[in-house]
Order: sequence, then C-alpha cells, then structure tokens
Amino acid sequence: MTQSRREALRRQQQAQARAKRFQRIIIVGAIVLAVVVVGVFGTIFVSQLNRGNTADPGTSAAVPVNATADRDGITVNPGKFAAGVPKVEIFVDYQCPICKQFEGMFGATLDEMAGKGEIQLIYRTMTFLDNNLKNDSSLKAGVAAACADNSGKYSAYHNAIFAGQPATEGTGYTTQQLRVDFAGTAGITGAALSTFQQCYDNRVTSGFVQGTNEAAAKDQVNSTPTVMVNGTKLDNNKVFQSSVDVFKQTLLTTKGNG
Amino acid sequence: MPRTLATRTWVRWTTFAARQILGIVLIIAGALKIPWPEASVQAVRAYQLLPFDITRPVGYALPVIEVVIGLLLVLGLFTRIAGWLGGLTMLAFIIGISWVWAHGISIDCGCFGGGGETENGIAQYPWDIARDVGLLACGVWAGLFPRSPLALDNWLFGPSDTEADADHDELEESRA
Repeated sequence: MTQSRREALRRQQQAQARAKRFQRIIIVGAIVLAVVVVGVFGTIFVSQLNRGNTADPGTSAAVPVNATADRDGITVNPGKFAAGVPKVEIFVDYQCPICKQFEGMFGATLDEMAGKGEIQLIYRTMTFLDNNLKNDSSLKAGVAAACADNSGKYSAYHNAIFAGQPATEGTGYTTQQLRVDFAGTAGITGAALSTFQQCYDNRVTSGFVQGTNEAAAKDQVNSTPTVMVNGTKLDNNKVFQSSVDVFKQTLLTTKGNG
Repeated sequence: MPRTLATRTWVRWTTFAARQILGIVLIIAGALKIPWPEASVQAVRAYQLLPFDITRPVGYALPVIEVVIGLLLVLGLFTRIAGWLGGLTMLAFIIGISWVWAHGISIDCGCFGGGGETENGIAQYPWDIARDVGLLACGVWAGLFPRSPLALDNWLFGPSDTEADADHDELEESRA
C-alpha cells in the first residue's frame, strides 16, 4: 500500500468516526431536551390534575353577586357609600393568623365605617397559604365566603371564619365548619342554607376565588393582611401599632396614587 | 510542547468535584420544588423582578431545568454546556437576591422550596449570595475545563480530535 493510499484511508476513517460522534451527540442532546419538555409539561399536567381533584370540579365562571367589576374581590357594602369616599381594599388569606389578629383589632371598625358609608370596603381573598401549608383550606374557605355573598351574608361569614380559625396554622378548615358551623354563625338558615351548601359542594365560586388571588398577586401583594387605600399600600408596621382612631384617620386621609 | 492546564490531573479532578457539588445542589433544589409548582410561581413573584405574565411559566419550568442541569453535571454529560448553564442559573439567582436586597424587599429566597415574604429575610441575603457565588464558581470551572474523570462524556463521545491530540502530547511527554 502506498503512502498516499494509507493516508487517504486514515482520513476516511477519521471522517467516519467524526460523523458517528456527531450523530451520538445529536441523539443524546435530543434525549436531554425531550426530558426537559416532558418534565415541564408533566409538572403542569399533574398540578392541573391535583387542582381538579381538590377544588375545581365545575370550573365555573360564576361570580358572587357583590363581586367588584374587575372580579378581583367582593364589595362588603354595595350601594351604601357615596361616590368619592376612600376605597379600602383588604387582602386576606383565611388561613393567615395575622389576618385574624388584624380582624380582631380593626374588623369591627371596618364594618362600622362600611355600614355608615364612610368608606367603600372590599375584601380581596388570597389563597397563597395553600401553597405554603400544602393544603387547600384557603381556597375552600374563600369559596365558601363567596357562596355566602350570594346568600347576602358575606361580611358575617367572613367574620365567622376568622372567629373559627384553628389555633395552629396549617390545621385547615373542616367541611363541617365551612358547610354548617360558620353558616350557622353567619345566620344562613333554611332554604338559604341549602342553596349555600349546594354552592359550596359544587365549588361554584372556585374560579372566582382563584382569580382574586391571581389579581392580588398581579397588584404585587405577596403577603396578608395588606391594606390598600385608593391604591396605596399601608405600612403594616404602622397599621399594627395604630389605635382604632388613628387607623380610622389613616383610612380617611390616605391619598391615592391614581 | 507545554502541557495545557486542562490536561493536568488535579484540574480534571477539581472539575469532577465542581460537577458533583453544583449538580447535587441543583438536583436537591429542583426536586424539592417540582411537586409544588404553584408555590414555585409564588416564590418567583415575591422577587417582583420579572414581568407578571412570565412568572408562571418560569415558576413551572425552573425546577425541572435545575434538576436536568444537575443530572447532566453529576453524570458528566455535556459538561461544558451544563457547567455554563448551571453557572448562568446561579448568576440569575445572585442578581435576583441582590435586586430584592437593594429594594429592601424581605423574602425567603425560595431557593430550596418555600419562598414569599418573611420577617427577617434580609439578614439571610449575604449567606444566600455567598453560597451562590461558590456554586457559580463551580459552574464556571466546569465550563472552562469540561474534561473530567468518571464522566459519561468520555465514553459516549470519545475525545474530540483536538483533545485526542492533547492526550497524545501528554502521553509523549510522559514518555520523554
């Protein structure tokens, strides 16, 4: 074999080896990419499945009667306030102990001001503690409260939930509490009670409550309780040090950002 | 011909160590988050850095991507790319934590699950950043010197021509 033929053969072998190597790289690379895609879509699929099992059999677009126009919360005192009064939005998660504390400090004041029409009071329910506590009680309580709005007892039911909040965060609410006990405390009885329970059992308002949580996150509210007056977030350090009178004044005098 | 740094034994074993450290941390961090994608979305949102509409895709994809990059590093597959990508994710986390620190936002970094606002998150930031800088260094090292022992790269792809030449030179040198 001549020198040049041997050289040519060597080159050919090298080229073949390179081509094979390239092929292996492409195949393994494609497998890795496939794993990424399957992983991401698998996560999405499983989480949708979980959501469906726990709280969303109907995927209903139903909205409680006193929902805000943007569907981001429920107005506590519709028709009771004049145009131009401060718009007070309270972001709560029903499993949040500090929300219960807040409710204990200022809940009655808020109800009173709302009743007199001094403010427009809106509760915006969040459900992010479900993710932190790995349960679905925030969503279930939110769904029940929104159902109670259809019975005209939103504010009373809201108060009943906080009054019955378990001492240990993460315990969650039982079906008995949400269907029967809190409804009783809120004064939902008779035919209204069965309508309420039907609403709750079918999770009619779950889409709405998921939407209020999403809308709150979009407004960069990441913790509860958060108080917003005319779109301006109040500093919780100040809120929790306020007396009832100071808190009232803050609500009435905070300038909006819009 | 002088031996290049990349062919030295200690460099290759350092790459091996860097691969394992960054790889294992990424696998653990991702695996803890994969079962709770909505919590991951929340952790991303708590940074208030990304536009709201992309926080959900990022929250879902990031844990999976972490695990895959981690697996590649531990197995030594596509080490160069995996090293750079791992380093890039660490750089992103460092930027994220610096951002919330600069803006006085107190959150749990959500690095290993969890996340969201918390009371004394800011005190934790220097440690989070120090850890991520160390891991970033691991990624950069693996990206710069991807050849290492006990790597799938070695038997799956074989040495590339230039690397084969380098090995050849090394062999010659050791004989001389």
